[in-house]
Amino acid sequence: MSTIALHDEHTHDHADHGHHKETLISKYIFSMDHKMIGKQFLITGIIMAVIAMGLSILFRIQLAWPETNFPFLETFLGKWAEGGRIKPDFYLALVTIHGTIMVFFVLTAGLSGTFSNLLIPLQIGARDMASPFLNMLSYWFFFMACVIMMSSFFIQTGPASGGWTVYPPLSIVAKAMPGSGLGMTLWLVSMVLFVASSLMGGINYVSTILNMRTKGMDLWKMPLTIWAFFLTAILGILSFPVLVAGVVLMVFDRSVGTSFYLSDIVIGTDILPNEGGSPILWQHLFWFLGHPEVYIVIMPALGISSEVISVNSRKPIFGYHAMVYSLIGITVLSFIVWGHHMFVTGMNPLLGGVFMITTLIIAVPSAVKTFNYLATLWRGNIRFTPAMLFAIGLVSFFISGGLTGLFLGNASLDINLHDTYFVVAHFHLVMGSAAIFGMLAGVYHWFPRMFGKMMNAKLGYLHFWLTFIAAYLVFFPLHFLGLDGVPRRYYAFTEFEFMKKWLTVNVFVTWAAIMAALAQVAFLFNFFYSIFKGKVAPQNPWEANTLEWTAPVEHIHGNWPGEIPTVYRWPYDYSKPGHDVDFIPQTVPFSETMSSNLPHDFEGNEVAERIQQDWEKANPVTENKG
Amino acid sequence: MVLTMENIPDTFDPKPRKFIVWLFVVSSTIMFGGFTSYYLVFAASKGKGHGLVLPDAFIYSSLVILASSLTLFLASKALKKLNFSLERKLLWITMILAIVFGVMQFNALGSMVRTGATLVGNNAAISFIYVVSGVHLLHIIAGVGLIINALAGSYKNVPAAQSQYKMEIASIFWHFIDILWIYLYVFLLLNR
Repeated sequence: MSTIALHDEHTHDHADHGHHKETLISKYIFSMDHKMIGKQFLITGIIMAVIAMGLSILFRIQLAWPETNFPFLETFLGKWAEGGRIKPDFYLALVTIHGTIMVFFVLTAGLSGTFSNLLIPLQIGARDMASPFLNMLSYWFFFMACVIMMSSFFIQTGPASGGWTVYPPLSIVAKAMPGSGLGMTLWLVSMVLFVASSLMGGINYVSTILNMRTKGMDLWKMPLTIWAFFLTAILGILSFPVLVAGVVLMVFDRSVGTSFYLSDIVIGTDILPNEGGSPILWQHLFWFLGHPEVYIVIMPALGISSEVISVNSRKPIFGYHAMVYSLIGITVLSFIVWGHHMFVTGMNPLLGGVFMITTLIIAVPSAVKTFNYLATLWRGNIRFTPAMLFAIGLVSFFISGGLTGLFLGNASLDINLHDTYFVVAHFHLVMGSAAIFGMLAGVYHWFPRMFGKMMNAKLGYLHFWLTFIAAYLVFFPLHFLGLDGVPRRYYAFTEFEFMKKWLTVNVFVTWAAIMAALAQVAFLFNFFYSIFKGKVAPQNPWEANTLEWTAPVEHIHGNWPGEIPTVYRWPYDYSKPGHDVDFIPQTVPFSETMSSNLPHDFEGNEVAERIQQDWEKANPVTENKG
Repeated sequence: MVLTMENIPDTFDPKPRKFIVWLFVVSSTIMFGGFTSYYLVFAASKGKGHGLVLPDAFIYSSLVILASSLTLFLASKALKKLNFSLERKLLWITMILAIVFGVMQFNALGSMVRTGATLVGNNAAISFIYVVSGVHLLHIIAGVGLIINALAGSYKNVPAAQSQYKMEIASIFWHFIDILWIYLYVFLLLNR
């Protein structure tokens, strides 16, 4: 079946659908098809991830061997690494841009942008997004943001270097450090474009999910991926605008000379004229976005693993409603915990106590999700596909990184741990590695859906084990540095007596990081090779229930030829007793599965229940063993 | 191998797009919430606000933008009754009022400058007035764009459902920025 009947007698009354003279440009570049836009986000995200990983290797080299010269560094970096040693200013730029790219460009746009775009229309049964045009703009704004962020590596003074949270006054006073000049301006321009992109995307996702579901797809029949993308988009809509407000004030401080965040600053013997502002106010506005942002990063990954774990355990997800309510709980709580980033800013202890309580309460929905993953795996008929391994890896990182969150969320313990490597270890496990693993699980799982090809499983296993082990080897030792009081972002461990003993650990961590980076070569090769030369994917390679696997493998604009399929059941009917195969797609009506229907399937529909009872009387179960 | 698909339903469904406008309204509200909460925390921690008597021009501009909301409302009523010439007239009036509003805002800020309450100074609460009214003016420009869009639809004789849709998104957005300005004005009056 390679041909789909054409009927061309339609008239089109608006431009979004129906133009079929596809050119190279309209298909691959300015595409308005959500599947293509998803791929654009993914590939851009992967490129940015490779860049950010490269930056991390550079500063890990500095941390491990602060006294050694590496001539190749000077070859690449010129005067930023004169004599083969990275300069302090450039070291700070490296950690800043590594953080910015990873948090915003890879784990926000690369993750949500890819999978929300790909899966929302396909899993809820829609032709495309609510506004394909806005969706296209969303990608191109993101692309411009990436280009501008990277362009700051090609200017004399180098990229922004005040940390990814760009706290004033470092970020505002241009004379503060080289990166505070043009590099910081480019950072702000790039972030404005990025926020615009993610708002356009998020608004589109929410509108699509609420308005364009296919017949029968009520909210409680949506896959958990869609729930996660939906709540993530809501988080973005409610929190990114606050960052915009903060950034607008910052731009005025930088360019016009207002004093929203500045007061009493002396550089050398220069007294700056700014007076009356407060840098703490930036921290409030930043973290009001910044904390929800970490859930924007992790929630899509959680949604993806819910789906992948259920499919590959051949079991219904354990506690579907609890999974949704815990996502909602995380969404709501994430707005009232931002103060835990600011315990040491001289906050009123009572207020600190309030933020501590709200923070620790987040452990409850998070634990609900973790236990539900484990309960789904429990006695499942597990298929260890690469996607499944990465999803299980997410659960592992979410637990081991989440536990240290309890320490950091505690206002009194945080006085010791604040701004140490303990924090670095915590968030790299719980939102860094976990979210990356969720994203990789998604890539392995939906690669057949995106490109019509299969990825090589053996390379996938190699990639998983190397990355999984290396990630723990990198981040676990950092906890101990933090407990010893080693502060993050320090340039050379040799400069401080009490930090010298950790140099050997740094060497170990750097080798582990290099191993992790090399492991990604297996992925990159597998990804790009399989796009062109991979085994052709069958219609439903993982035997999954959700709607995207009912659409033809060949991509067509509008997703389904003919009618959009109708949905009759939830997406998690795996291994249902009484049914002959271990999955029942959402499009199969109950009338075709009389032998496996259960009373609660009918949601109180009495007619359907009676029909079922009549059928059961007529077909008594004879063999009930085994 | 031909792979084209032509049976996308061609009926025009404005609902998801109208919803997009609503979501934009929500996010914009949040942004101004961010601004005003900056102001509240600033004023509380410093024990001072802007401390100005706001220029009278702000009162008149507020009345003008209220009037523009009214004319836009009447325009959308006229469209529902298919009275296109009245609709166009009212849309033009709305646009003129919008421009008058913009001019008066500049007037008001200008008179603030003359009294010495300038953008750059040692009181961030005064700078704040310039920033929020400026960001609000950007919204006004976007709103005028939507009104022009509705006008263009009216002159081009697009199908009724579409001109209705253009009118509706213009209305949602315009009434929002009207209320938004009133909120900002009252906020500045109450938090001196």
